[in-house]
Amino acid sequence: MKNHTYAWRNLWRNRRRTIITAASIFFAVFFALIMRSMQLGTYDYMFKNIIESYSGYIQVQGQEYWEDRIVDNALPFSPGLENILLEDENVLEVIPRFESFALASSGSRTKGVMVMGIDPEREILLSDVRNKLVRYHLSEEAVKALLQEDLPETVRKNLELFSGYAYSSDGKLQLELGIRDRDSSRIMPLVRMHAGITNTYFSPENKGALAGNRLARYLGLSRGDTIVLLGQGYHGTTAAGKYVIEGIVNLPMPDLDSRIIYLPVSTCQELYNAPEMMTSLVLHIDDNDDHAISRTVARLETELDSTCRLMNWKEMNETIVNQMDADNKSGMIMIGILYLVIAFGVFGTVLMMTAERRRELGMVVAIGMQKTKMALIMVYEMLFIGLMGIVAGAAAALSVIIYGYYHPVRFSGKMAKMWEDYGFEPVMAFQWIDDYFIWQSVVVAIIVLVALIYPVNKILKLNEIEALKA
Amino acid sequence: MITKTAWKNIWRNKVRSLVVLASVSVGIFAGVFSVAVMEGAIAQRLDDALNHEIGHIQICHRDFRSNNDLASVMGKTGDMEAMIQSIEGVEGVSRRVIVVGMANTAGKSTGVMINGIDPAAEVAVFGLHNKLMEDSGEYLNNDAKANQIYIGEDLAKSLNIIRYIITETVIDSLISSGIPASTADKLRPLAGTRFSNEKSFNKNTGLVLSENEVHNYGKIIKKQARTYRQGARLALSFVDMDNYHTGGMFRVAGLYNISNNMFESSRVFVHREDLKRLTGLAAEEDHMLTVRLKNVDDTDRLTEQMHQLFPGYEVLSWKQIQPDLAMMESMATLMYGVFMLIILAALAFGIVNTMLMVVLERTKELGMLTAIGMNKKKVFRMIITESVFLSLTGGLLGMILSKVVVLLTARRGINFSGYQEGFEAMGYSSHIIPQIGNDFFLIVTLLIIFTGIFSAIYPALKALRLDPADALRTE
Repeated sequence: MKNHTYAWRNLWRNRRRTIITAASIFFAVFFALIMRSMQLGTYDYMFKNIIESYSGYIQVQGQEYWEDRIVDNALPFSPGLENILLEDENVLEVIPRFESFALASSGSRTKGVMVMGIDPEREILLSDVRNKLVRYHLSEEAVKALLQEDLPETVRKNLELFSGYAYSSDGKLQLELGIRDRDSSRIMPLVRMHAGITNTYFSPENKGALAGNRLARYLGLSRGDTIVLLGQGYHGTTAAGKYVIEGIVNLPMPDLDSRIIYLPVSTCQELYNAPEMMTSLVLHIDDNDDHAISRTVARLETELDSTCRLMNWKEMNETIVNQMDADNKSGMIMIGILYLVIAFGVFGTVLMMTAERRRELGMVVAIGMQKTKMALIMVYEMLFIGLMGIVAGAAAALSVIIYGYYHPVRFSGKMAKMWEDYGFEPVMAFQWIDDYFIWQSVVVAIIVLVALIYPVNKILKLNEIEALKA
Repeated sequence: MITKTAWKNIWRNKVRSLVVLASVSVGIFAGVFSVAVMEGAIAQRLDDALNHEIGHIQICHRDFRSNNDLASVMGKTGDMEAMIQSIEGVEGVSRRVIVVGMANTAGKSTGVMINGIDPAAEVAVFGLHNKLMEDSGEYLNNDAKANQIYIGEDLAKSLNIIRYIITETVIDSLISSGIPASTADKLRPLAGTRFSNEKSFNKNTGLVLSENEVHNYGKIIKKQARTYRQGARLALSFVDMDNYHTGGMFRVAGLYNISNNMFESSRVFVHREDLKRLTGLAAEEDHMLTVRLKNVDDTDRLTEQMHQLFPGYEVLSWKQIQPDLAMMESMATLMYGVFMLIILAALAFGIVNTMLMVVLERTKELGMLTAIGMNKKKVFRMIITESVFLSLTGGLLGMILSKVVVLLTARRGINFSGYQEGFEAMGYSSHIIPQIGNDFFLIVTLLIIFTGIFSAIYPALKALRLDPADALRTE
């Protein structure tokens, strides 16, 4: 009889124990995979949000700009430079930006703001400001008017909770207010009537400004109002200008939302007296895998002269990378604890298997079975149990993960508000199958192999006379 | 009798029982200790928020919070202060004038919230005076000349008030503090260069040092190279009561350092009188009264009482000002419970297996016991008790171990210095002092007993189903 057949039959001599041990591994693998997938998926989501709406994956900047963000450190943006960048195989488009600081005043209120000059067409590829224009604003009056209408109780509660918030899409508004699909055809027209606003994006005729929603609320701005910007321009000149607010945008990051003014990039260059200059060029790339990014950076570094500096998303988002790293480690510790506990369980099983078969082992060895063969059978047995646990755990986790990947969990109500106030999109997403799947199997295999040291040792040192007497 | 038998039964197969005991104690230890670290971090965050950032109760004009308008002031604040001070349970109260403006140094400017405080009264409410950074001067001083300012370390960095310079003295002191001379020598070419900010210092030292050296010694080098000129000046500009732009030069008295970067880089503190003089506010006019209570648990009751006392103003407790803090506190408890449950569920598998084994190997004995008249209820109870004893002994060991380790680590705290930046951006300290409430141990004990009972039910039922006649015949 082959070793593995022998082992397989042995397993079913004590069916319950086999199943329970395999189930414990199943449990650990299942939990670990789900936890990992959710953690990684949520980062991915958060990151994509931040990277894609702000920094991009790679930027070209003036050599000193990152350390000292003043207009004087901006970069001359010539067609030649653009061509060099576009020639790279991974670069699809160069998105120029002119970013600076100014004091914004409206009436008697003043606030320090970030002025971001964008190319209206190309920026759509990256942060898509156009789709962030506010369509609904739950102002105090709007909430008051809506509460007069006939609405379900949950919607009323959420209206009060989200008073002051703005939304760029129907879907998100419905979700956060808890408006059910079947009610939406009745409720949405009411919301549109009381809280809907019109905004316009930049166009050749429209060279006004767009303001972040929180900033607009603070300065008391609405569409058509005028804002005065005052700052320091190129080479110490004074930058001053008056702009009409054409639209209000809603950015997911509160920190940015409360201090951003968008202008068309040419208007911005005029304001700061820096024609042909850009503070940063965001590269819209094809492959955003870490390796592809570092290869692209390395290639471009040889092409560009020393006035330019390339920065990747990790260098530009140090704080978030650091936070993610900390969170990642804490998740790994949790999974580590889980596996530690399971390892003891596996060891317990191995111990029992050896103890209860002591006599039997003595018998087969006495009638001529090789000890090594016996030990090998034991190894097979445990590997089978481990394999069953892993396969079942991975299969179960996979179905949850695949479902979760296509239907990310979106929070509504209080939870959503808490996440948003922290600047996170209130979404729990799952990460698609990745290396982390393989890692779980490796860990379980290690656990099983370590647990096997004891019985294998015991079998090899078996004294068949004593064992027979047991 | 049953309990005694159950306890003795555990020790019949020592190795097996010890494996279960070890697994339960390790699992419980790891779980409880992780919870203690999380609890420590959250408690510190709450403590920081109440002690340095918001206080327990804030009173201000109805519109102030939404618009930060200079004109949204409360009058006769001196009388209000006296009234609040006389309420039972109030520890201290302070008045603040709050103005939104800009802070400028040569070439750098940023938006700040300027808090005009009475330094002496403030001490009774906030602990910021204790957070003075080492060698950075002093807290606001009542005897000092006009226009002193107390700012955060982060703001000082972004306004280039803190700079970095490597001198021969710095290199020598680095060597004497234990940094290899080969590393320190690499810094010599940089000697004498002034770096106006942290980023450019990092960039330039990163060019001469290897990654390993930066990782090992970067912090010490940065600390040694840091220079800060006491009495550096910065200009504050804002709008006064008549809507005119105004401002003044302020001299930095000292720097504070707390574990909240947002707060550090946006809140500055000056003398209340200075700010009043510059804005034109009257003597008894202030924007905010902050109250510190003797006992945090009185917050809701006293908030309501003050609300009755000042119906025209907005009276908010810290829970209303930062609902996320209150929510985090309640959510954390739930999260710990779920975390422990997952660990216990994993442990349960091992316990079920062991108890099943116990029943199987004692088939003959159990048959005998039933045959000589031990009733089935007792057999059932015996097995359940055995399982509970087994898990509880392990659990107790784990809990004792975790308590000891928590006490030991709490003395010096655990330093996650690698994650300082990320932690502080969210307002958490990276130096965590683990702590755990005794009630948590009670919950864990109950959970362990539950796990013990739950895992023994199936094996015990199996024991009940034994037919004494068959059982006696088994080998």
